[in-house]
Amino acid sequence: MINFLKKLIYFFYREYKLYLSGFHSVLTMITFFFVAIFTFIFSIGPKDEILSLLGVGIMWTLFLLSSTLSLRKYYQEDFENGNLVLLHLRGFSYELICILKTISHFIFVQIPFLIFLPIACILLSISIDKVYYIIISFFLGSIILSCLGSISSSMNLLNNRNYLIGSVIVIVFSIPVIIFSVGLIGQYDNFNSLINILFGILLITFAINPWASGACLKLAIENN
Amino acid sequence: MKFLVNPNRFNSLTDLILKPLMLLSISLMVIGLIFAFFLSPDDYQQGSTVRIMYIHVPSAWLALMTYFIMSLYSIAALAFRIPFGFIVNTAVAPIGAIFTLICIITGSLWGKPMWGTWWVWDARLTSVAILFIIYLIIILINFSFENRLVREKIVAIFVLVGSVNLPIIKFSVDWWNTLHQTASISKLSSPNIDTAMLTPLIIMTLAFIFIGILIAILRIKTEIYIRKQST
Amino acid sequence: MLLLQNISLKRSNIEIFNDINLSLSKGKIISLKGKNGSGKTSLIKIMLNLLEPTFGTIYWKGKNIKKNLYSFYDQVTYVPDKTTSLKNLTVEENIKIWKKISLSDIGNSQITNILKTLKLENYIYKKVNSLSLGETKKLELLRLIIENRKFWILDEPFTNLDTESINIMEQTFDDHRKNDGCIFFSTHQRTEIGITDEIIL
Repeated sequence: MINFLKKLIYFFYREYKLYLSGFHSVLTMITFFFVAIFTFIFSIGPKDEILSLLGVGIMWTLFLLSSTLSLRKYYQEDFENGNLVLLHLRGFSYELICILKTISHFIFVQIPFLIFLPIACILLSISIDKVYYIIISFFLGSIILSCLGSISSSMNLLNNRNYLIGSVIVIVFSIPVIIFSVGLIGQYDNFNSLINILFGILLITFAINPWASGACLKLAIENN
Repeated sequence: MKFLVNPNRFNSLTDLILKPLMLLSISLMVIGLIFAFFLSPDDYQQGSTVRIMYIHVPSAWLALMTYFIMSLYSIAALAFRIPFGFIVNTAVAPIGAIFTLICIITGSLWGKPMWGTWWVWDARLTSVAILFIIYLIIILINFSFENRLVREKIVAIFVLVGSVNLPIIKFSVDWWNTLHQTASISKLSSPNIDTAMLTPLIIMTLAFIFIGILIAILRIKTEIYIRKQST
Repeated sequence: MLLLQNISLKRSNIEIFNDINLSLSKGKIISLKGKNGSGKTSLIKIMLNLLEPTFGTIYWKGKNIKKNLYSFYDQVTYVPDKTTSLKNLTVEENIKIWKKISLSDIGNSQITNILKTLKLENYIYKKVNSLSLGETKKLELLRLIIENRKFWILDEPFTNLDTESINIMEQTFDDHRKNDGCIFFSTHQRTEIGITDEIIL
């Protein structure tokens, strides 16, 4: 048991080192997010009423788009240099690898995003009392996005003709997330019930994720 | 029932029934269209546009039915290792996409005079649009992978994950307050629909089912042939 | 210990190999020879249970391998023919991460000694990116020592190595065999290692 925990800790240590050595790509994603927000503001005009009305929707869309940029980093490198096989041989089952990868993607990619969210809220002139709700919904939503990203990037490991389809898959599956989390901002009275729905979606995706991506990883390793 | 899982049995059976099926589906289609256009009454509210329903409703049912069959075959293929399921998945996806497209187009043609708009974002319409996108992605995945063995398994996994959408479509009219009306034929014994309108609807549904099966058989036979050639 | 029975593999109805029987036990060095595309890597993947054979079963300590897969994985080191070291990290970080993940109890001094014999000691704080092909290969083979397991399965271990390093490898193989170890490797080159068994695909 202690050995197992040690292994887990060093798996995260490894992921930390990997993401740290490629941290500029995470920064690039955040920059993309902000530049895209700027272009949005320039294109619809800097009126406060319009911005605070559309702000949350814009933020969600751009958040989704910029998190699809990181899909390629998810499993592809470890798959191509054979590290997935080695980790599997060191006692990590495919499903466990998927869960750990999802968690580390959440920690090392989505959390930096979440830290920068309040700044985006200021830019989009969303009032400060709403930021609390936004952070909570983005927190739950980003875990769901990590799970969906894991599924779609593991599906596309052997796809070297049309990688864009991975992004399309993530966007399609994240439609319910967007519906519920954007709807959440409009109705603060109803906050708890909508958060519960979002949490339910989170649990479902978290349960499907290791099964689906584990099967895809196994398939990719078999046929590589 | 072996022909449902065995390519050879399937081929030998469908060779027999292909021509009768073709005749049957054409004649049913002709009879159904005659009923729909000439022998059924106008609706007292909708007027003549109610005739669009005789195409809209069957194609919607078949779009859902096709996806349902695909998910059943995906389970069979993944869990029970029946490769015929992969063949069906590849062959049937474009048919489902076309039926969904017909459903959406006829629906918006009907919606313009009735609701005053081509498209509204209510739950039923949105979920059907998502179904169409899912069909498109399945077709795209079929084009994206070089390795056939990988591609078909990934399609099957995607179909299973996407089947979450099916109950949402079915019950969207009950769960949410939608502009789209609730199902008129939920129980066969006492449907909320007049017999004069029910007859063309049933004939058209049968015609659509037979045409769907016909095209599916042709496509599956082609797929089996292609696979035999490539090995 | 590891027993392969009647293994055969078909890919889209083309037979790659047929009816392979093989047993790995203590003190054996088995080499696998074959032309390009004869399925050497596939056979290794089947042994590691990464790929399902079309027919045949694999036994580990008398039981079907699927039933105690992880106890088998616990005893085996696999060195693929690719570069598995993380390219953006330094040699030292690579060694440290791998040592910790494989829970090996090997001492730091021992690793420094080996690095010296392999002439890698000047590269410890350099990124794997800047190493030459032969040096990265040596770093890959270092995993054999780090993980400290009984079964070594290697895919093309001698590519890109100079004669001196090959001599060191042969010495290590011999030592490992004397320590009740077992080595299985695929190659297309001639080697001077005291091979006890040879399989030709």
